[in-house]
Amino acid sequence: MKILIADDSRVMRQIVTRTLRQAGFGGHDLVEAADGKEALAKVATEKPDLVISDWNMPEMTGIELLQHLRAQGQQVKFGFVTSECTPEMQQAAEAAGALFFITKPFTAERFDEVFDPILG
Amino acid sequence: MSTDAAAPTAADLSEITEQVWTSYLDPDGEHPLLVAPPVAGPDDVFAAVSISGAWRGHVLVTCSPGAARHAAAAFLAMEPGEVGEDDIADVLGELVNIIGGNVKSMLPTGSFISLPHVTTNAGARTHFPSAVQVCELSGTWRGEHMSFSMWQSEGERAEVRAA
Repeated sequence: MKILIADDSRVMRQIVTRTLRQAGFGGHDLVEAADGKEALAKVATEKPDLVISDWNMPEMTGIELLQHLRAQGQQVKFGFVTSECTPEMQQAAEAAGALFFITKPFTAERFDEVFDPILG
Repeated sequence: MSTDAAAPTAADLSEITEQVWTSYLDPDGEHPLLVAPPVAGPDDVFAAVSISGAWRGHVLVTCSPGAARHAAAAFLAMEPGEVGEDDIADVLGELVNIIGGNVKSMLPTGSFISLPHVTTNAGARTHFPSAVQVCELSGTWRGEHMSFSMWQSEGERAEVRAA
């Protein structure tokens, strides 16, 4: 599968990549985007099977990205990895069609739990 | 995580930092953050996020250059000697972003968090006009000082000195 990692933090993109590997999902193709706008363009060009997105990003937030994708009829699997986690955010994510909501900091065990049904 | 939550405390900061240590800074449990009084001298590295809206203030991480280098190495799975200045700035920004994001979840609904700001040069000053410190978690990690604090905007002027 191809996975798009959208996060404005280079460090966090590296950590997500490393944690995917630690959780046993290292064999997938990974592409990156530094904000929501770039991620929107890369969904069109790279055609990923899964998008793992930060919430708070410049240019376009993660929830705006998901809403844009769904408005275009794009049904790529999508979820959030974010340091912010309020009930309101989780409800908005779910309503927009997010499959998961992972809170930073996270562990490989948490990735395994969330991604095994999706990537396993 | 409620709409009328009280301001986070040092105990809340401790709980959040424990998760950061378990996930990134000390996954093997060999180098915990040891709680210790704030150091008398200045720190050289500052990372902050601002919170606006229903709760206004700042979340601040300060530490010695050595602690910042060890943190960058741990986050990026590198040796401390391989870490560059950009790595340190990026990692401290992410560190305060994680702390701030978790803190925000304890604040009243309608609070918004900024992107991080990092200063790594000795002699710099970080000013928080009209803000006072509401809690601090201070300690040592690998023999180096680290501090996590929250500053709430009020009528008083507060200043954090880097040197």
